[in-house]
Formats: sequence, C-alpha cells, structure tokens
Amino acid sequence: MQQVINVFLIGISIGSIYALMSLALVLVWRSTRVVNFAQAGQAIVTTYVAWEVVNRSGSFLMAFILAVAIGGLIGGLVESGMMRTLFKHASDGPVAAVAPVIATLGLLGVIRALVGLIWTNEGKRFESPVSTAGFVIGDTTLPFSRLNLLIICTAAIVMIVFSILFQRTNLGLALRAAAYNPEIARLSGVKVSMTRTIGWVFAGAAGAVAGILVSSNDTLNPYSLDVLFVFGFVAAVVGGLESLVGAVVGGLVLGVGLSFITFYLGTSLVFPTAFIVLVIVLLVRPSGIFGVKGARSA
Amino acid sequence: MLKRKREESSKREHNPYRRRVLFFLLLGWGLLLLGDRVSELRVYQGALIAIYALAIGSLILLTGYSGQLSLGQGAFMAIGAYAAALTQIYLQPPLIVTFIAAVVVAALFGAIIGGGAARLSGPYLAGTTLALALGLPTLANLFSFLGGETGLYFDVGIAPERFGAEFTLYKWFFWIAALATLIMLFFIQNILKSRYGRAWKAGRANAAAAQLVGLHVGRRKVLAFTISAGVAGLAGALLGMVSLVAPSTFTLSLSFAIITGAVLAGLTSLTGSILGGLVLVIIPEIAEMVSGNFGESEAVTANIPGLITSLLLILTVLFTPNGPAEQWHHHKEKKKQRAL
Repeated sequence: MQQVINVFLIGISIGSIYALMSLALVLVWRSTRVVNFAQAGQAIVTTYVAWEVVNRSGSFLMAFILAVAIGGLIGGLVESGMMRTLFKHASDGPVAAVAPVIATLGLLGVIRALVGLIWTNEGKRFESPVSTAGFVIGDTTLPFSRLNLLIICTAAIVMIVFSILFQRTNLGLALRAAAYNPEIARLSGVKVSMTRTIGWVFAGAAGAVAGILVSSNDTLNPYSLDVLFVFGFVAAVVGGLESLVGAVVGGLVLGVGLSFITFYLGTSLVFPTAFIVLVIVLLVRPSGIFGVKGARSA
Repeated sequence: MLKRKREESSKREHNPYRRRVLFFLLLGWGLLLLGDRVSELRVYQGALIAIYALAIGSLILLTGYSGQLSLGQGAFMAIGAYAAALTQIYLQPPLIVTFIAAVVVAALFGAIIGGGAARLSGPYLAGTTLALALGLPTLANLFSFLGGETGLYFDVGIAPERFGAEFTLYKWFFWIAALATLIMLFFIQNILKSRYGRAWKAGRANAAAAQLVGLHVGRRKVLAFTISAGVAGLAGALLGMVSLVAPSTFTLSLSFAIITGAVLAGLTSLTGSILGGLVLVIIPEIAEMVSGNFGESEAVTANIPGLITSLLLILTVLFTPNGPAEQWHHHKEKKKQRAL
C-alpha cells in the first residue's frame, strides 16, 4: 500500500511537468490552431539560460524568473516574426495544411543548432535546487523528495495563476473569446492578433517552467526535452487539445499511469504505452476526454 | 492555331510511359559510368544520396499527393531494416528476398498504423507519427533478438565475382542502392500518374468533392500510407546495409532530415527527390568547409549542417511553400499570361 502511494506521488510530480508542457501546447493551439513542434526547443533555450545563471550567480530563483521571462519573449517573437509571415504566404496550396508543422520543425532545428553552437552538444549537469534525498518517515525513506514537492508546488502555482488569469481578468476573457470565435471577438473589439501573440507568450513561459523542472537533477543537452514534448503532446491530445483543464488532467493522468508502468513493468514499456494511449484516444475519442463543450467553457 | 498546338502537345504527352522508361534508363547508365570515375568516399555518398532520395520519394507520395504529413518515416525505415536483417540472419535467402521482406513488413505496419492515421488530420497525425519515431527504436532494447543498442549487422555479402576483383564493397552498395531506388522511383512515378495518384490529389484538395464523385477518401489514404511505409522500409533496409541496423541509425533526426529534403525539393514533384537527397548529402560537406574556416571545434562541425538545413527549411516554407521548382514554374506561367 505504501509503495502504491509512493509511485502515485512520483507520478503526480512527473505528471505536473507534463501538464505544464501540455498547457503550453494547448495555449498555442487555442490561439493560432498550430501545434508548436518547437515548444520543447524554446524550452531548451530557457533551460540553458537558467543553467548558465545558476552556475554564474548560484541563485535558482533568479534563474527561474529570467528563464520564464525569456521564454515568454521567445514565444512572442516566434509568433510575430515567423508565424504571421507563414500565414500570409502559405494560406493556400497543396502544403498549406502541413506548413505550420514544417515551419515549427525548422525552428526546432535552428534552435537546437544554435544551442549546440553556444553550449556544445555535451550533456550539462543541472543541479537540483533542493535536496533530492527522500523524506524520512519513521525509519523508512520514501522515494518522494523535496525536489518532487518543489515541482508539484511550482506547477500548481503556475496553474493557479493561469486559471485566475483566464477566469477573472478582462485579458482572460478576451483570450477565451478569441479562441472561441475570432470573427465575433474581433467585432466586439478584441484585438485578435494581439491575443494570438499573448497566447504564444504564455505558452513560452509555461514551457520554460516545464523545461527547468524536468531538467533539475538531470543532464541537459540540445535533445533532452524531446521526450517531454512527446508526453506533453500525448497529454494535450488526451485532454482534448482545446481545454486548459483537460491539458492539466491529461498530464497528471499520463504521469501517474507511466509512473506505475515504470515501477511495475519496466522503463522500456513507457514509450509503447504512451503511443498506444495516444492512438486509442485519437481513434475512440478524437476530441479528447474533455470534449469540445467542456473545453470551450473553460 | 491555339487548338492545334494543344492537340499536338497532348499527342506528345500521349506516351509519357516510354519517355519515363527512357529517362530512368539513361539516368541509371549515367550513374554507372560515374561510379567508375570517382573516389570511394564519393561512391559511398552516392549510395546515401540514392537512399535519401528513395525515402524522400516515399514522403512526397504521402505528403505531397495524399496530404498526410508523417514525422515517422524513420520508424518505418527502421522496421524495414530490421525485417531485412532478421530475414538475412535467420533464413539467408537470395539478396532480393531480404529487400522484398523489408518492403512487405514495413508496408504491413504501415497498413496497421495507417488505418488509424487516415482519420487524423495535419498536426494530430504529425504528433502521432512523431511519437512513433521516438518510441519505436526503444523497442530494440525490449527484445533480445533485435540486438539492443548495438543492433544487427545486415550483411549483403560482397559483389559477385563476375564483376571483377576491383569491384569494391562500396561500389556494390552503390549499385544495389541506386538500382533499387531507380526502380522504386519509377514505380512511384507511375502510381502518381495513374488514377490512384489523381485520387490522392483529389482527396487532398477537397475531400467532400472527392467523396461525391465516388472516391473512398479514407481507404485511399490508408493505401497511400501503406505504400509509403513500404517504400520507406526499403530505404531503411538500404540504409541498414551501408551503416548498421541499430536504434542509433534510425533517430528522430533522420525523420527530420527526410522531411527537410522533401520540402527543399518541393513536396509535389517526385523528380525533386533526387535533388533532395543530393542536398542532404552536400550540406554537411559544405558545412565542413565552412567550419574549417572557423577552427575545427566540435560544436561547430556538429551543428552547422543542422543550422543550414533548418534555416533553409524555414525560408522555403515561408516564402516558397510549394517548393522552389514549383514556384519557378508558377512564375513562368504568370509571365506567359502577362505576355498574352
């Protein structure tokens, strides 16, 4: 029983990181109908920046804030610099449907190459800001550590901030309106092009948080966030790709599920399971568990 | 006057099949002559160009015609390579049988995955195939007969003796790869010009209209996915032949490289696939020359090719989304119209 709880808690910790990445993908999807394949690439830049700051100044908090700010900035720049040009030039023709995917893949390649040029492709050790030794209760040591707690708390704070922002502010209302129906939102005075950029900015910031959290106490290289992206995508699809709540729930469910599989069946089955889950969800319920209706109201 | 001209041109196009056969035969003959005159490294690169061209061809069929973007061509290549290597190791059949096994097994997997994928659109399909490309190579560690990280050795043997003693192994690889690629591209070209190709185009351009004239768009998409997977499987077997059948050969970067090549060559023209393969092999060469000027740092040599190809990819899709060749064609048409 105790073991089950342990595995569950670890799963929540990993799942909340997936949830953040999934949130980033959903934010971009809602604002521009694009799946940003460079989301993990943007996060890798901010994670390297955070690594650099931690190494130079030793302050994890400063690194975190700087990374989130830069993450938002990159998101905004990509939307206003690249995606707008893309929509202008490739809005019709045989490759219009796949053009955003290809463009974001290209961006991913450029980012990786630049990161590799600046920081080299060798793995960098990202030290954890807090102890990774498990909590001790009585005379048993749990695998659940302070780092896991920090991850859950940080992810929870980010999600609470987002939910207040979306539910309680005028900006959130504008964002929701623009996602629901851009034409009508524009008619009622919402600057839709601005909400698109803001969607990308928020996504960049959320992705930056996910990147730092997943890399803590791990090795960082230009390719190390690929896995995070794929699981974030699976989580987003499970949650419906439209729904912010769905993204979070999808991430947590995936994290817990994969944690149990890792523990009881072995690491090598993690990828196949995630893939099978993805395919089943897409075949049985393409609109995700939180179908369109739930999504639109969230 | 204009009418007669049109009739003439239609007559000329009446027998494109013979022209295509002639074109491919000439191309093959030219390559063979060339193969005797260049260094060993160039022959090896020639084989790589052929393999990439074949993989790009499979993606052009899938994306340019049927409109489905797969980021998982590398996964199907891996399936083909493992199928070929396992057939060779356990059955030791004639060489051609191993390649047929690669095509059949990869196509089978393609049909299974395509059955689900045909229902998916744009980004969903891309994400699913991405997960496949990232996840499938990890299976090699799960089953011991797949050889784990070290992989398998797909041994095609040395060239038959009648080719002479100077016939090197790399030249033999090049012959196999070039021949397989030419035959396959010829086959794809014919499919694309047939009613199947037209049906794919119709389904991509307007699914509702295509269904209205009696095309089963979903089934056609599965068919495209199956054929594309089979072709990719053959390319994978060839790649396994010149390198190693291991997870490290069939990385995500391979899938991305193939997409890059396909986009740079123009997703809607199969003739571009050879050009795409050429670009993929030449860019690292150029990068090596460039990085030589900046000092031989490892970070530079490892990343300059990626930087160049990715930048080209973005610029291509931003400014000439249908490929440079198509754009030029379009430009010429416009000029002609203006002249009239």
